[in-house]
Amino acid sequence: MFDKILIANRGEIALRILRAAKELGIATVAVHSTADADAMHVRLADESVCIGPPPARDSYLNIPALIAACEITGADAVHPGYGFLSENARFAEVLDHHGITFIGPKAEHIRLMGDKIEAKRTAQRLGIPCVPGSEGGVTDEDDAKRIAAEIGYPVLIKAAAGGGGRGMKVARVEDDLAHALATARAEAKAAFGDDAVYIEKYLDKPRHIEIQVLGDGKGHAIHLGERDCSLQRRHQKVWEEGPSPALNAPERERIGGIVAAAMEELGYAGAGTVEFLYEDGQFYFIEMNTRIQVEHPVTEMITDIDLVNEQIRVAAGSPLSLKQSEVLIEGHAIECRINAEHPSTFRPSPGLITYFHPPGGLGVRVDSAVYQGYRIPPQYDSLVGKLIVHGRTRNECLMRLRRSLDEFVVDGVDTTLPLFRTLVRNPDIQNGLYDIHWLEHFLKTGGLENG
Amino acid sequence: MPKASPFDPELVRELAKLIAETDLTEIEVEKGDLRIRVARTITASVTVPVAAPALAPTHSAAQPAAVPAPVASSDSAPAGRPSASHPGAITSPMVGTAYRKPSPEAKAFVEVGALVAVGDKLLLIEAMKTFNEIAAPRAGVVTAIFVEDGQPVEYGEPLLVIE
Repeated sequence: MFDKILIANRGEIALRILRAAKELGIATVAVHSTADADAMHVRLADESVCIGPPPARDSYLNIPALIAACEITGADAVHPGYGFLSENARFAEVLDHHGITFIGPKAEHIRLMGDKIEAKRTAQRLGIPCVPGSEGGVTDEDDAKRIAAEIGYPVLIKAAAGGGGRGMKVARVEDDLAHALATARAEAKAAFGDDAVYIEKYLDKPRHIEIQVLGDGKGHAIHLGERDCSLQRRHQKVWEEGPSPALNAPERERIGGIVAAAMEELGYAGAGTVEFLYEDGQFYFIEMNTRIQVEHPVTEMITDIDLVNEQIRVAAGSPLSLKQSEVLIEGHAIECRINAEHPSTFRPSPGLITYFHPPGGLGVRVDSAVYQGYRIPPQYDSLVGKLIVHGRTRNECLMRLRRSLDEFVVDGVDTTLPLFRTLVRNPDIQNGLYDIHWLEHFLKTGGLENG
Repeated sequence: MPKASPFDPELVRELAKLIAETDLTEIEVEKGDLRIRVARTITASVTVPVAAPALAPTHSAAQPAAVPAPVASSDSAPAGRPSASHPGAITSPMVGTAYRKPSPEAKAFVEVGALVAVGDKLLLIEAMKTFNEIAAPRAGVVTAIFVEDGQPVEYGEPLLVIE
């Protein structure tokens, strides 16, 4: 096992890693920018090193500074957390060259999954379901008809060179296809100078469902069920829960089994998440995240497995602490990401926290690095903390979340707490009837004011 | 509030002389409302070690700002050598290991009292097996050196003072 772990991150995830290390009896080194000298992770770590000025590129993203910090403190492993250098294959390789262990997957797997095209190709090879579509560009109308019929309507026609929604058209039935194809090609030609288009399955109202996996890097991998992260705003997850209100046990076993088998074949090491869109009982691969995720506590609460502990153990060469048959999903958990932002305009609100009272009681967990008197610096993300609530049933969980949100007090800065107090009382949320567009639509139609 | 001008430069000067003669690091005098503390820094002891000792959760979790305060506080007049908070302090531009000599057998680049010109080499800081030269940003006299040869330094840590 490691003697000393350097935590190459800040905020609540730095604290989360520190806790796991301490419980394993491993010494901790915090690194920080000059803006974070008073941060909680610095104060709780056994040692700390200031690695640079406030901009992340000069501090938390500064690989030479992090290596130097390892060298002067004698750290033998680095945990990257999420964000920053967590999915930087080069960082993993540089650490390796210096004889320091990167607590995460192999560099080749980080690189593989970081490339969208390679990731999808690999997913297909490993038997992970992907969005069906044409293999290459389509120009001929008869070809388009044949492919669309195979995929099944509705289909999306999009520019091969595309982006930003230009050159994208939906054909709901075969009669729409000729027109949609012509329009998409004309738009693609105008926007990108290339009229090659792809055809793929169009998902109307998908949910975002992701599978948590753990691998030992030697051919053994398990899945820990799913998290439903459909409630998003601008592709940022807002509310995450597990199990998904949309899945039943056989569906979970099926997709979980597929993903775990794929990770075994890949020889994946550590924690990872395979993300899917889910519609009409079908899963469609989006991407794989090769790191611990912000919403990992949801899985920890329903499985009672410490994911960061497992990451560290695997990185040190130990086997996983449990088998698939020992993974039991019990009850329901919901996580709310409380940000220092205005609850309706979402304008960031850094500044001094003049009063901080987190909720408590049975089944309530708050992962946060702020405290009363802490000043949220303007340079980094606006996460104040994560409120994670567990209940024996989804209903118990929702009632517990409601009272926890009402107990939570953060003064001095704007927070998104009022948004969550509205969401937890919304009938669609209570019934689990939401998709990836629900929250944006709710906000656009003034749901917050009416709530 | 104390009287119009409670500050007595003569008294401070006298204390400063005393502190140097006696080899003490600190003298504090209290007289009515007036309190004067004169402190000086021993070069080697002022540097904040990079491997800062563990801040026990019990004391650090409760209250913010247990930052090691510079020796000279607001109610004291500095005397003797400059402290780490001196405005003329040159701080480390990177985390790494500081070296005062180009090689283990060589002489130090600078000693206290040295006259330096802009661009003169002061120290080396090693990070990732690369030695980075720290050059004088201005001309002057080196009045204090806070690091020893081979000492780890953090970003922003005071290295020496040029006055």
